[in-house]
Amino acid sequence: MSHPRMPGSRTGRPVRPNYLAGLGSLLWLGIVGLPLAVLLTTTLRTQSDYATNGPLTLPKRLTLTNYTDALSQGFAQDFVNTCVVTVSVVALVLLLVPPLAYTIVRSRRRSVRTVFRVFLLGLAVPAQAVIVPMFYLISKAGLYDDLTGVVLPTAAFSLPICTLILTGAMRDITPELYEAMAVDGASPWRVFRQLVLPLSRGGLATIVVFASLQAWNGFLFPLVLTQSDSTKVVTLGLYSFQTEHGVNAPGLLSAVVLSMLPVLGVYLFARRALVQGLMGVGGK
Amino acid sequence: MTRSPTPDRAGPTRPGRADRTRADRAARTRSGPAGLTRPGLVWALPATAFFTVFALVPLALVAVLSFTTWNGIGAPRAAGLANWTALLHDPVMLKSLWLSALLTALGVLLQTPISLLLGVWAAGHQRNRAILSAIYFVPLLLSATAVSVLWRALLDPNFGLPAQAPWLFGDGNLLGSRDGAIGVLAFVGAWQWTPLHTLIYQGSARAIPQVLHQAAAIDGAGRLRQFWHVTLPQLRTTMVTSTVLMVVGGLTTFDTVLILTQGGPGTETTISAYYMYQQGFKSFDFGGASAIALVLVVVATLVSLAMVRLSGYDAMRAGAEGI
Amino acid sequence: MRHVSTALHRRASRPSRPSRPSRPSRAPGPSRTSLAATAVVCAAALSLVTGCGSGSAGGASGSGVIHVLVYGDAGNTVEKRIVDTFNKTSKVRAVLDTIPGADYQTKLQTVINNPQAPDVFFNWGGGSIAPFVKAGLLMPLDDMIAKDPALKADFLPSVFNTAVVDGKSYGVPMRGTQPVLLFDNKKVLADAGLTPPTTWDQLLDEIRTLKAKGITPIALGGGDQWPELMWFEYLFDREAGPGLFQKAVGGDKSAWNSPESTKALGLLKQLIDAGAFGTTYDSVKFTDGGSPALLAKGKAAFELMGSWEYATQQSANPDFAKDQLGYGAFPGVADGQGDPNDLVGNTNNFYSVRSTTKYPDAVAQFLKLMYSDEFVKAQLAIGNLPTTTNTPDFLSGSASPAYSQYQYDLVKRAPSFQLSWDQAYPPSAMTPIHQAVQRFFDGQLDANGFIQAMQALPTP
Repeated sequence: MSHPRMPGSRTGRPVRPNYLAGLGSLLWLGIVGLPLAVLLTTTLRTQSDYATNGPLTLPKRLTLTNYTDALSQGFAQDFVNTCVVTVSVVALVLLLVPPLAYTIVRSRRRSVRTVFRVFLLGLAVPAQAVIVPMFYLISKAGLYDDLTGVVLPTAAFSLPICTLILTGAMRDITPELYEAMAVDGASPWRVFRQLVLPLSRGGLATIVVFASLQAWNGFLFPLVLTQSDSTKVVTLGLYSFQTEHGVNAPGLLSAVVLSMLPVLGVYLFARRALVQGLMGVGGK
Repeated sequence: MTRSPTPDRAGPTRPGRADRTRADRAARTRSGPAGLTRPGLVWALPATAFFTVFALVPLALVAVLSFTTWNGIGAPRAAGLANWTALLHDPVMLKSLWLSALLTALGVLLQTPISLLLGVWAAGHQRNRAILSAIYFVPLLLSATAVSVLWRALLDPNFGLPAQAPWLFGDGNLLGSRDGAIGVLAFVGAWQWTPLHTLIYQGSARAIPQVLHQAAAIDGAGRLRQFWHVTLPQLRTTMVTSTVLMVVGGLTTFDTVLILTQGGPGTETTISAYYMYQQGFKSFDFGGASAIALVLVVVATLVSLAMVRLSGYDAMRAGAEGI
Repeated sequence: MRHVSTALHRRASRPSRPSRPSRPSRAPGPSRTSLAATAVVCAAALSLVTGCGSGSAGGASGSGVIHVLVYGDAGNTVEKRIVDTFNKTSKVRAVLDTIPGADYQTKLQTVINNPQAPDVFFNWGGGSIAPFVKAGLLMPLDDMIAKDPALKADFLPSVFNTAVVDGKSYGVPMRGTQPVLLFDNKKVLADAGLTPPTTWDQLLDEIRTLKAKGITPIALGGGDQWPELMWFEYLFDREAGPGLFQKAVGGDKSAWNSPESTKALGLLKQLIDAGAFGTTYDSVKFTDGGSPALLAKGKAAFELMGSWEYATQQSANPDFAKDQLGYGAFPGVADGQGDPNDLVGNTNNFYSVRSTTKYPDAVAQFLKLMYSDEFVKAQLAIGNLPTTTNTPDFLSGSASPAYSQYQYDLVKRAPSFQLSWDQAYPPSAMTPIHQAVQRFFDGQLDANGFIQAMQALPTP
């Protein structure tokens, strides 16, 4: 963390421990931690152990069969599908957003400003609202039950916030840098490639994470636009597992844990970009 | 190519957006040729075209479909105002709007105090706070689908937590009773999203200059008064940002309802977004569903516009930068 | 990758002073790595999008493939086996697609008019396919039957006719007939000194006994809503006979307002108020295995459910299914007009054929398997009861011969076999029916409210 240390501790004035706040934070730890602990222990026990002894006891014997079962019951295929969707959405977003954001930041045309306004307004449109016409269009295009049909609308609905994030990052590039390149006679393409892209890395990382999260966690579009096992994504896999075998909590929750592993990986290695991306998701 | 004179940009501090816009405008009037390095409209074209086809056209189609009757099998047929008059007299629709508002309000009331207090607390740099913050963050790593599935399993009245803790859950009929189901939805939403808002507050609380606290301490202000008179006022914009996120998120809740309650018992948790799905994909009245969708779009846009007016676009960015 | 981006950055910053515009709060390390990662991901994605963007489609348009769409549940083992058998000899390959029960009707209706529509699909006959027939989406099977009369002749006529619309045949029976039975946990009943009830009053008595022992008398998956509907279907039949519902679904809405209707609702109300279902039934589901688990674990004594309960228990709790799962007919109501032998449930499941199928001959070959010995034996083995003419030959070889024989006799002697209400009405009525049923169970609707809700339903 690059935050400055709190001067309070440096100036030597002893900080009185805040017992009330400590108590409250422990209470919240229970509310957050207990379900997570139950989540983990449940996945490590047999179904009959869970059914007879309940979630709050410790497993009699630890087992990993729930995980292997989940993977062998098609959850691995779901993972592959979700990866295809996620990578494609991210690719589309990376192809489309940076040039747009660059134009919005640099262009002085009135039309570009109108474009930006339209995208800003797009922030307010919930994806659910267009699900009926989307279903109609995707069906007519012959993309029903095809991952492409999931990728396209998912990417489209992550454009507004990604544009917002990236224009924010690009606005922080100081005008002097542009002017310096202008002196060299650089074309917009060269400016984009050599100045704008390298200097908006933080923003790019954020939109990559945001778009990945949108795609990885996406539920409504796959729910309505796909149906086969061969196109099932992870969230749908969880949903259908739940509707069919919800009472098999150990198996179900193993799938839950598996579904979060990739995001956990990102959390461990790119915390900042993840946090920024999540803020976008929270707004959608 | 001449370098345009821009004295107001030379300062070492980052200029505010307003300043820069003014500067741009000034530059435009002063130097024409510098515009050569500026990207043309064609750069914005691919994204705009894509967004138009996959977001704006469907949006326009929602409006069109709301004046048709279509059961998904044949082609949509014009139906005039039939869907709209039906919607006006539909008690479930009115109730669903009320429920959406109720759940959103519950979300804000539940999450704001918790995340505000936790965020300010977690802003301290003590080691234990850092460790706890890391744990608090975990629910955010789960998708809304996964969170709902998790709680559906945990709250099973016969094999889940309620069976083992009757002192807390009573008979455990949480999802089968109106108050229980609404409570569960609000709680699960808070469980998932409080960590995010805690982070937002944590970031902003760290950005509060320490001198303010020190000055207050010198004036003899205790912890409570410092919180009230220093911390809270400094977090005002953050509160707006966080509330905008909560409201927009609350109005568009869908996965949680579908998995936890399916709008039940009866229609007690049928919020507008779910009602639209139900009318479309369960009752095959896609025209009626489109009318509901259009109402959703209008409400969401109005709310967002009002919020942005209230907070300003810059406030939103300030909140995001606080991390 | 990393050094490239650094070089780029250096060249870009060359003309400027070292004042790289960085925010103090932004750590440069991770973002640099993520840019590199981004580039890799981007390249990979491009190749994916261009390379196999449409290759992952599960569409029916592939060469030499017919898609068979089936309701996803424990019964799928047999459908998988039949598809395998078909693929051993056929050049056109059959692919089995399943959709979990709760979403089946939704998905079917959304896909039926798409290019990705299945060639052959599971349905309940009757009202469930009527809208498709009306829209001209289904292939009449009469030509197939003319070539192979066994496609019709080898099934019980009463069952086959459920899928005849406007004089044309649109479905070949598959799976089996599925009457709704009152299942019980034999051990729980024995421990309480009870036997399966034959009359309504006996049922009420037993509920009191069981409640006194702290056992939930009847397991009910109210979260799914339709298990609650079964109680209405039986009580309306026992009280008024099959005529009332036939009139109502035929469009005579006053039928709902009859004294018998009020009386049936009164009986059900009495049962609910007696605590027969406990208090948490609306938080429990059948589809996710919740209510069957209650019965199997001895937490409840009865469950009113379709005959598929047997297959469900067999796959989730095999020991219980073998030794402890009891079954019986729905009890009679003393002064009711309905015959205690009447049944409700799914008369049968059917395979119907989409008119756009490219391989009608292969489909015909596939449908022939529905009266094959292998099919009948496999269905019997999981507790389903096919309605083919050769079924009686194999009853002794079923997993539970007594259960199969019992059902077969029950269906044979039933004067009336009412198709489930939510299947008899058009699909658009399903949600309103389910909601009304649940709200009556919750006490939010009284008898009059329920009657009004039924009168508001669209009729075919």
